[in-house]
Amino acid sequence: MLTFVVRRLLLAVPVLLGVVFVVMLTIDLLPGDAVTLMLGEHATPDAVARLRDHLGLDKPFLVRYLDYVGRVARGDLGRSIQQNRPVGTELADAWPATLQLTVAALLIATGVGIAAGVASAVWPNSLFDALARLGSLFGLSMPIFWTGLVLIVVFALWLNWLPVGGAGSLSHLVLPAVTLALPSVAMVARMTRSAVLEVLREDYVRTARAKGVAERWVLGRHALRNAFIPILTLLGLQSGQLMGGAVLTETVFAWPGLGRLMVKAIFARDYVLLQGAVLLFALAFVVINLLVDLSYGLLDPRVGRQG
Amino acid sequence: MRSLPARIVGGVLVLGLVASLVGAATAQKRGGTLTIVRPTDPVSLDPNLETTAPGAWVYFNMLEGLLTLDDKMQVKPALATSYEVLSPTKVRFKLRPNVKFHDGTPFNAEAVKFTFDRALKGSPPARWASLAGSLDRAEVVDGLTVDVVTKEPYGPILRTLAMYCMGIVSPTAVQKLGQDFSRAPVGTGPFKFVEWKTNTHVIIERFNDYWGDKALVDRVIFKVVPEEGARMIALQTGDADMVLIPSPAQLPALRKDPKFTVHETTGIRVVFAGFHAGMAPLDDVRVRQALLHAVDRKAILDNIMEGSAGPALGVLAPGVFGYKDMQLDKVYPFDRARAKALLAQAGWTPGPDGILVKGGQRLSLSWLAARGRYPKDGEITEAIQAMFKEVGVEAKVQVLEWGAVFQQVRGNPLNHHMFTLGWVTSNADADYSLYALFHSKQVPPAGWNTSRYANARVDTLVEQARRSLNQTEREKLYGEVQDILAKEMVWIPVYTTKEIVVSRTGVKGFHVHPVEYNLALWKTWLDR
Repeated sequence: MLTFVVRRLLLAVPVLLGVVFVVMLTIDLLPGDAVTLMLGEHATPDAVARLRDHLGLDKPFLVRYLDYVGRVARGDLGRSIQQNRPVGTELADAWPATLQLTVAALLIATGVGIAAGVASAVWPNSLFDALARLGSLFGLSMPIFWTGLVLIVVFALWLNWLPVGGAGSLSHLVLPAVTLALPSVAMVARMTRSAVLEVLREDYVRTARAKGVAERWVLGRHALRNAFIPILTLLGLQSGQLMGGAVLTETVFAWPGLGRLMVKAIFARDYVLLQGAVLLFALAFVVINLLVDLSYGLLDPRVGRQG
Repeated sequence: MRSLPARIVGGVLVLGLVASLVGAATAQKRGGTLTIVRPTDPVSLDPNLETTAPGAWVYFNMLEGLLTLDDKMQVKPALATSYEVLSPTKVRFKLRPNVKFHDGTPFNAEAVKFTFDRALKGSPPARWASLAGSLDRAEVVDGLTVDVVTKEPYGPILRTLAMYCMGIVSPTAVQKLGQDFSRAPVGTGPFKFVEWKTNTHVIIERFNDYWGDKALVDRVIFKVVPEEGARMIALQTGDADMVLIPSPAQLPALRKDPKFTVHETTGIRVVFAGFHAGMAPLDDVRVRQALLHAVDRKAILDNIMEGSAGPALGVLAPGVFGYKDMQLDKVYPFDRARAKALLAQAGWTPGPDGILVKGGQRLSLSWLAARGRYPKDGEITEAIQAMFKEVGVEAKVQVLEWGAVFQQVRGNPLNHHMFTLGWVTSNADADYSLYALFHSKQVPPAGWNTSRYANARVDTLVEQARRSLNQTEREKLYGEVQDILAKEMVWIPVYTTKEIVVSRTGVKGFHVHPVEYNLALWKTWLDR
């Protein structure tokens, strides 16, 4: 078990190196450069040259890459080009907000999605199933910024129940978390429905029913536990998706998270800050995938023994 | 000594008197918290690192320069009380006595020298160093007298020192805070710094030891709300008292709604479609003039800008020192027949597909534009493209992200006939624009003569005006430059930006300034 975890974490190193390489290269290839964007329309060529030199931007790409990797290995993420603040501090400021939002959305997606999916599977083709299907279609196809604004209009402007945006209290979290969760709720619900339906057709479920196990137990112990593996995989993927989707949600709801920090960094071509943020995202992905893999073992004893 | 003279000081006195009379009539109330929403967080609160609006809006209320620009765009005393021109490169300033920084440090000539040294001699130099022309250093004469020295005779020096980003900083605070100064600046202004939570808010509060009239509200909170719709809703629910960068589409309704006040004034940025005058066929002045006649600028203002911008009367905005009305609507009225006649004169005849041809070449122009850098830049480009088509001119528009456009227009050579850009006369002095945009030696990357305009007379005039410290003479020289430019048009000036701020009606005493960055909040009070 421990070797499995260590091996997986070591495998993450080349992944992260590759991620940094690709991000740095992309920024390098993008037209537009950090210094001229930072100094604006009015910069003199002399000022541009001096700042470029100060930031070390005139060094060749590979040298900058190795410099960066070397510094990261020593735990130094550098200073953001635009703000001249340590990237570590910037990330530490923004990261908790994104984590909060993602976890809240994930909880909603899991709770609502699984409940709706199980209900649809237990009463397939019922009125509820039809409504759930319609709701899922809606949740999946509405763009986040649109749903977000509609929720703001209804709950902040008309009903005045919740704040328009910003962070601070639990009431600030409700609208962005719901908005962010909607597409995931839909996907989880659909996935749960089909997984549970499939399991319900299995022989062991028929056997369980035949030997007189209560329906509640059939569902909970036999069906859901076995159906949970594909659902868990989806949730793992979704949590990555949610972190990504947070960019739009954070913008609509003025949520001070990593997504907005990244967008700002991209527009300013602030590659130091962007790399730091992407590294953090990549690391989060690796950890989540690892957790998902480990939890397979808990759900299905057959999986764990192979690791 | 030429006092910032009677005219200015007297003006201040009279204004002060009027203000106090008006104040008495409407009973200003003190106290309360003013909440402002705007789209982006500052880059920094230190002018050394930030010259754009998100930071300037905040630090303009905390840091003061030697001089300032009032909302009529006149130079007024701030931390300096009078000046005297000692030589073409040296101006002596008397400083205001008994002024304290927010940290208790006394303000004096040393602080001025410290601020300028930090900005101009530091590594890297301040972001505003590029805006400050040939400003070189400050020399301490005595505690309250300082000489400002330029590298060469520099006519725009007063307006340069009056720029929003020229605030004097507390030397002790800079030494104590180091890098952190940029997140918690200390100046002499009417408000002092309280807190900055990244991407959430910045809070400033009244500085009770301020030398002048103290701020009326207790606190100002600047909140970040990136989404335009959400910003407007925050104003409606009362989560915010004031919105910066409001949604243009909602302005007509807001103007009629008694719950809100729309504060607006003509700004100092001109947005234009520029010609590459060094590239055929735009090297022919008749073609350029024809293209001006082909554009219905009023239709663009009415239908695309919907009242959120003013007409562009020339290459400068009206608030800029040296501005002259170029009478473009009279000289180049929208007139397709004249456009076609001028193009015919230049030898262009209709081709098989309706596009004009000459010697087998189609009249096709490549055009570089961004979308979203300036209000409606993409839309106006498309509108002009359609108008060109009506007179037989094809425009091939390439819309790119701003960073990409910037790199191309800032480079040399430029391989496009046209470009959509905006230009702010940052120090409100014609030198800043007429020199950088139209002097033949200012072709990028040296300057911003993206049009590759070259006229020896214009070169002489703008050089002469830059070196003169006689403002009347300078005004005359710039007038002549604009007369020449009006004949040889290398731009289609499309609109002058308006500075628009919307507040709830209970927000009183606020005046929007033609310079976007000069968001003065110390006279604002809350009636609720």
